[in-house]
Amino acid sequence: MQSQTKPRFDPHSPQIQAYLKDVDYGTFTREGMMVAFPTCLPGMTVPIVPDESHITALDVTEDGMVYGGTSGRQTHLFVASFHGKNGIVLDLGMPAGATKCAAVCCGPSRFVAFVNGARGGRAVSGPLMELAGEDFIQEWGFDQPVLTDHGECVPGEPVVDAVVDASRKTIVAITPHQLFTTNPDSPRIRVVGEVPGAGRIAVASRGGIFGRDDGGSLWHYDPAAQTIHRRAVRLPDSFGDQPPVWAAERRSGRLYTADAEGRLFSFDEGQGFSGPLGRAPLAPVGPMAVTLDGRVFGFCGDEIAKMFCYDPRTREVSNLGVAVSVIERRRYGYVFGDAVTGRDGEIVFGEDDDGGHLWLYFPRIRAV
Amino acid sequence: MTKPKGIGRREFMKGGTGIVAGGLALANAARSESAGQYGVKWYPFTEHPDSDTCWSLSVGPDGRIYAAACAEGVPGGVVKPVRYNEQKDGLDYLFDLGEKVNDPGDSGRATQCKIHYSFAPSMSDGVLYMATHLSGPPIDLPVYNPWYSWHDEKRLFRGAALLAWDTRKDQVLWWDTLIPKEGCRCLLHDEERHLLYALSYPRDHFIIYDLKTRKRRDVGRIGSINGQTLFLDKQHRVWTTNDYGHLVRYTPEKDRLEVSPETLPHAAYQTGWHSVFYDVAPSPDRECVYASTWCPNPHLMRIWPNDGEWPRVENLGPATQGRDATFPVDMFRDHCGGLAFAGDGKLYYVASRWRDAVYNPLPPPHKEHEGVVWRLDPRTLEREEVTRLEHPYGFAHYVSRGAVDHNGDLFFGHVGSRPCGIFKVSMPASRKRENAHLPIRMWG
Repeated sequence: MQSQTKPRFDPHSPQIQAYLKDVDYGTFTREGMMVAFPTCLPGMTVPIVPDESHITALDVTEDGMVYGGTSGRQTHLFVASFHGKNGIVLDLGMPAGATKCAAVCCGPSRFVAFVNGARGGRAVSGPLMELAGEDFIQEWGFDQPVLTDHGECVPGEPVVDAVVDASRKTIVAITPHQLFTTNPDSPRIRVVGEVPGAGRIAVASRGGIFGRDDGGSLWHYDPAAQTIHRRAVRLPDSFGDQPPVWAAERRSGRLYTADAEGRLFSFDEGQGFSGPLGRAPLAPVGPMAVTLDGRVFGFCGDEIAKMFCYDPRTREVSNLGVAVSVIERRRYGYVFGDAVTGRDGEIVFGEDDDGGHLWLYFPRIRAV
Repeated sequence: MTKPKGIGRREFMKGGTGIVAGGLALANAARSESAGQYGVKWYPFTEHPDSDTCWSLSVGPDGRIYAAACAEGVPGGVVKPVRYNEQKDGLDYLFDLGEKVNDPGDSGRATQCKIHYSFAPSMSDGVLYMATHLSGPPIDLPVYNPWYSWHDEKRLFRGAALLAWDTRKDQVLWWDTLIPKEGCRCLLHDEERHLLYALSYPRDHFIIYDLKTRKRRDVGRIGSINGQTLFLDKQHRVWTTNDYGHLVRYTPEKDRLEVSPETLPHAAYQTGWHSVFYDVAPSPDRECVYASTWCPNPHLMRIWPNDGEWPRVENLGPATQGRDATFPVDMFRDHCGGLAFAGDGKLYYVASRWRDAVYNPLPPPHKEHEGVVWRLDPRTLEREEVTRLEHPYGFAHYVSRGAVDHNGDLFFGHVGSRPCGIFKVSMPASRKRENAHLPIRMWG
């Protein structure tokens, strides 16, 4: 008879005990609460089919309604409301021929989604929904809105990203080669000029729009002057070539971003980049958003991402583990495509996966 | 801190099911006295003392029984496939799988510790495909968690290894990595189309492996809870389940995973969540399949995949006993597996039975947990208890898989009590026939 394999560790050693504790308590959502919400009215309608539900774009209105779009075999546009007697994700429709939603921007009365397919990127708009008064416990009544397809934005070019400016009256968007603007209430495309469009763009603290330029720099678009400044800001040397991600702190307008190794930086228009603030547990850094007290929450790492938190008060980055939900839906969350900050400071992550859900993260309340 | 009383996975793998495991020297094959006309015999994996589970048992293309002597609870443990040798009425240990795929148990990574419902035969060339699963810890760590270690290059599981075992020459013809970083939870072979299908763990992706090109393709994620079986229909469609108990169908012509509108049968107080397939056996005429679910209060069902846009599903009722619906029964106690058709045209399966003061007092000489072998008549749907499995030192209520060999006898793989091993249930002469394993089941 052969002998049994002898393990090469002391099970009572502090290292092994610490490892066991970390595995048991540190693998999944270490603090706060994740809630995976399906793309439907739970118990009443069916979610968006799994291979059409990669959530890749989100925006939020001032009253906390979340608008978004999916990627996959077919793009869906949706609105989500989690407050009052709502608790619903409404599928608003499927723009014909669209397989990727690059961005959604909410204006004063309408939202505009930028979707890509076989042809160039298109703008599709719809009215903002009045859901606050609806009672999704007792009875409800409303019609599915009509989506308006405004056609190709820049012929033959996909839309890469879009943001709405601070006034919510102007949308600034990029394709791989162009920057264009439009109006959320009456989308008419105006091509402003050439930029190398890659990754996300962001609205900075003074209202300027910034995006990745060549030569290790950012371009700057001035919405008031309607002008582009190429290579306006130099990126920290460690950034490499990866497309940027951004998160905006709502009150100050400070932006956060990350380099190729997961080092976090802040960016203030006028002051430029900070030094490295800390390093996410993994790279690349994916979608991030900032809650009302200034903490930054985001995901990092491929395939099975881990959540992290940067706390500007302590200047520390913590690993919050793999996303898991045990409320509303029991699900692991692996890949995320976008993030916004909800009405009350909760972070809403869009899951970029088959059977994608909206993940609401409620950060741990800090003890005083 | 108080742990809830129950079996629990870590205790289960250690064999801590209430009876102290005996020494391996005493663990010779033992015949049950209560087996009646169905003779029950136990074959422990004595020559692989690391072994603690048997997650795969299938009939090979040669009509012989193959089982996986898995070692998932032992740091550095590696699975060894075994085969029942009818001449010596014992087990042959075929090879150390880690050695065959150059991923030995002392690599420092999570190990090639088990084969999990992942034997799949190839009838034309006598090959038995097998794919490995994860969870065995590195040799210098007590546990392995794939989510925790996903980005840890030192610890990360290298990936599910796929081996082509030639049952005619008794040799590994070739091997490949079926799914990098992940384990293979279950495997299926579509021999006409030269395709293997698998479900990955932990990400629950649907994987297709082309045996001609030896290339894999990831079709996408299903959910969070693996179905424990894939099955194939006459139209070459592959079926499994999602987290909420819906059927999931892959149609090659559409190249798409689709979800059924209805949920599979489950208890009225449940929603269908976690009603994923545990085991699925094809009927001999291949018109339907019989399935059990991996869920507390598992249900039996009959599924007709060729009837209508979505299959007609018949609820054959709960496979195990009544219970207090306000408390979730331990999933290592409440279990149904080992579905297989025997030469008498009847479906055999093993369902657990346990002592419960209210719902099933089970006085002595019954054990606290029992594995009951049932025989179901597919024509009348009547079922009868034909025997119980008896482990010499522990319980025998958790059967992973069952199969019938070319002589017409039943075999069951078992998980839970140490030493681990398999059961042979000798069929009464009137109920067995030669080549009862044909047409062969093409999935694990």
